[in-house]
Amino acid sequence: MTFEMGEETREVQGTWDISTYKYLIDGAGMKLLVDSMKEKKIRGIKCPQCETVYVPGPTFCRKCYIDIDEVVEIGETGVVMSYAVEMADVRGNPLEEFRLTAMIKLDGADTWIIGTISGMDWHDARIGMRVKAFWVDEPVGSLADIDRFEAI
Amino acid sequence: MRNVGIIGVGYTPVFVSKRKDVNIPEMISEAVDAAFRNTKLTPDDIDAITFGNMQTFEGVNMPHLWAADHMRALDKPYMRIATGGTTGMSTLHSAYYHVASGLHDVVMAITWEKQSEGDSQVGLSGIVMPEAMVMVQHGMDLFGGKGMGAMGGGSTGAAAYQAMSYLHHSGADPEHIDKMAALERSNAALNPYAHLRKKTTVADIQATPFVSWPLRFGHTCPTSDGATVAIVASEEMVEKLADSVAWINGVGCATSDPATVNFIEGQITDPAEQEPARMASSKAYAMAGIKDPSKEIDMAEMYNGFAHQSLMWLEKLGLCKEGEAHKMLDAGALNIDGELPTNASGGVFSTNAIGASAMNRPTECALQIMRKIEGGHQIPKKIKNAVSHGWGGMFQYVTVTVLGDEPRHGQG
Amino acid sequence: MQRDIAIVAQAQVMTDSLDIPRERMLFDLVKGLFDKVGITRHDIDGFVLNSNDFEVGHTIANVFEDTPCGAYMKDETHVEADGMWAAQYTTMRLLSGNYDTALVVGNSSGASTFRPYLVMDYQLNPTYDRQLGILNELSTAALQARAYMAKYGAEEDDFNEIAARLLRNAALNPYAVRSKADATAGDVLASDYLYEPLRQLACYPFTDGACAMILASGKRAKELTDKPVWIKGMGNSVDTYYVGERDLATSKSARMAGERAYKLAGISNPAKQIDVAEVSAKFAYQEPIISEALGLFKEGSAGKVASKGLADLGGSMPVCPSGGGLGAYVFTANGLVRVAECVRQLKGEAGEAQVSGAKTALAHSQDGFCAQHNGVMVLSTEEG
Repeated sequence: MTFEMGEETREVQGTWDISTYKYLIDGAGMKLLVDSMKEKKIRGIKCPQCETVYVPGPTFCRKCYIDIDEVVEIGETGVVMSYAVEMADVRGNPLEEFRLTAMIKLDGADTWIIGTISGMDWHDARIGMRVKAFWVDEPVGSLADIDRFEAI
Repeated sequence: MRNVGIIGVGYTPVFVSKRKDVNIPEMISEAVDAAFRNTKLTPDDIDAITFGNMQTFEGVNMPHLWAADHMRALDKPYMRIATGGTTGMSTLHSAYYHVASGLHDVVMAITWEKQSEGDSQVGLSGIVMPEAMVMVQHGMDLFGGKGMGAMGGGSTGAAAYQAMSYLHHSGADPEHIDKMAALERSNAALNPYAHLRKKTTVADIQATPFVSWPLRFGHTCPTSDGATVAIVASEEMVEKLADSVAWINGVGCATSDPATVNFIEGQITDPAEQEPARMASSKAYAMAGIKDPSKEIDMAEMYNGFAHQSLMWLEKLGLCKEGEAHKMLDAGALNIDGELPTNASGGVFSTNAIGASAMNRPTECALQIMRKIEGGHQIPKKIKNAVSHGWGGMFQYVTVTVLGDEPRHGQG
Repeated sequence: MQRDIAIVAQAQVMTDSLDIPRERMLFDLVKGLFDKVGITRHDIDGFVLNSNDFEVGHTIANVFEDTPCGAYMKDETHVEADGMWAAQYTTMRLLSGNYDTALVVGNSSGASTFRPYLVMDYQLNPTYDRQLGILNELSTAALQARAYMAKYGAEEDDFNEIAARLLRNAALNPYAVRSKADATAGDVLASDYLYEPLRQLACYPFTDGACAMILASGKRAKELTDKPVWIKGMGNSVDTYYVGERDLATSKSARMAGERAYKLAGISNPAKQIDVAEVSAKFAYQEPIISEALGLFKEGSAGKVASKGLADLGGSMPVCPSGGGLGAYVFTANGLVRVAECVRQLKGEAGEAQVSGAKTALAHSQDGFCAQHNGVMVLSTEEG
């Protein structure tokens, strides 16, 4: 007698419950950043050895592999290193308004942050163009304190 | 150093969106059986097994243990490797070192993914789960459009930034991405183990909507169910057991920092810089005795979740000068009958069972070298040296394998 | 083996409640190890990391471990199983001649991030065992304990004696997170059942921690340390997933793993030739099953070993002078910790737990339910 295989196997449900995890995350550089944003400033951490300025700052330098804690203030203007124009949402549905986002290297920093650029036609966006951060009227110490970037 | 060769490959009969007729170990065992069939070996010939798939994607922890019986692994040395998107090639490298160490002679590397049984988006977002939580705690609007909000690059992730950076630095046009996409999809149409098998024109690609400029829907890879197995052997055992062989002459891997989306600590790498690709390939070429890859390499299999990447990697792996890849594409050099056939298989871009994706690159090279390609994508010219490449982690990790029709001589 | 490979140095960190981020724990540990040996991250030509995504709750967990371990812009790979497999893979990479100095790092945070029992639940066959909800870390262990008791007439008290010895040993180990200097079988008996016949003090404590080790080719190892610990043999073997298909009272895969390692190390009589053993046991009852399979004691001799103190520090075959898995069990990294403990013994750095004159040591690892997958490494103070 041979065992007949079915066309389809049976499906059973399973879950991976991520909410039961308790993560400890190094938020030192992030806290430094949001605290400074309350004063409409942007601060990062500098490695005394290779002079790399990280924003937000880690507590050790990836290249030199030493502890770092020198706080430095950096500019609110920077240069676009790359950009993309979001035209569909995560499920693939077209967006009514396209969104221009960019990887921006702020003046004085060696690392890049992501920001949304407003006030321009995305067709005019270029790698290498200069942008400036615009703040909300009343910053509260949060990443949302930068309202937008605009080309200068 | 001991010479090690791939003496056989086994695939699941198909790579498709959903295998509803088999469960996970059953599906993998199809590829294991195919490898035995193709090599005429039996489980008794195998000294050790390495096993890899993308962590977490099916919601089963260390599935090599559950699958051990189906893998014909009982009573054998067994090792689980997982490095994200590159897992397939990392698993092959582990098999390679099992033999190169002198401890084992014939080793089977098993790689697979059954993406239909999990939620890849959840799996992928798990990469940055704690980081994303911290960002939200600190006021970031992950999917919104304000200030420092918005997940980089929208729904294609940072791949769109990478594509734009590549276009900017290479001088290629967005249309070159369409053209590469059409070429690879058409190659896949000839490959019975490809997932998206439809002859595709540039116009077909251009008819698909943009997801994140400059990337269209037609530039992105599918999610697939499938498994790939390779059997590697020492030089002595190759002579005893194999009727054909492709030698693993160089291996390399390298990592940088979690380059994109990691907002907890400032990122220091352009997603298109891919310095690890240069590091890993330099090491693999040196091992293989290849001095000028642009002259000595006869074919390339690049890991391309997105269509621009094939072109980008050719430059990063030294197969052409920076800014030359799209010109080679225009000149037809990347076609199956061209000077440097690239992704004759259709690439990850056409078939993506993630854990197997970085394995399908070297297995395609091996079968091309052995001239055992099934379907219509056998490269007509003789292949002496081939390079295969894997990419993953969080944009920061690269593996490279150089294969040849002859073993290395007099090195190491 | 085609090349002599040695362990240069080890470092461990363990706690029952991690209060710093995992990445910081790894940075402090690895940086400390480099400083101790007098090298920098640039002296390492191959990194092998070891962790489990389910354990740390991060997909591709090694992505965030690379830079804390010094692997930025370096050759790195990742083993997702017990840490000993990472150590064995590192050894293979060194044996190939392709690497000379390597770092292996295993870590997890089973006390603070995620419970190991849940991690084990995710290892179950999701189409059957996980649906039934009967098998889990503790119920399978209880079945195995019962199987050993039934086959060899062992008593729960034998296991309690083993647990008491391990807790006493743990008191001598600065890394242990749980210990009791004067522990007796009575203390173990007085602790609650987690799952009959498993008493709480006879089960592993949840532990956060990491273990790092530098391995090198013979020549390089001798440049880096006066006391290299030589890797003489290694092996592993996997059994069927289905616990119902195994003889749970013994361990075929541990026996085969041991045989493979002994063959390479030239060991014909492990009970005589091995001076100290570090066995990965999550529960006290597992120690006799595994050490018997490894040929360290006679089959079914748990009662005799306990009553005569054979496995004690001063006994004929000291097992787990560190306290083993009952003193601390860093999930995933545990097998690596066992290797590290052998290194401490063979370097003569084990303090009050030092087994005098220890020259040859055995480290063991396990994965899966009822130790489905077992690994062994044999280490020695003697080269060649």
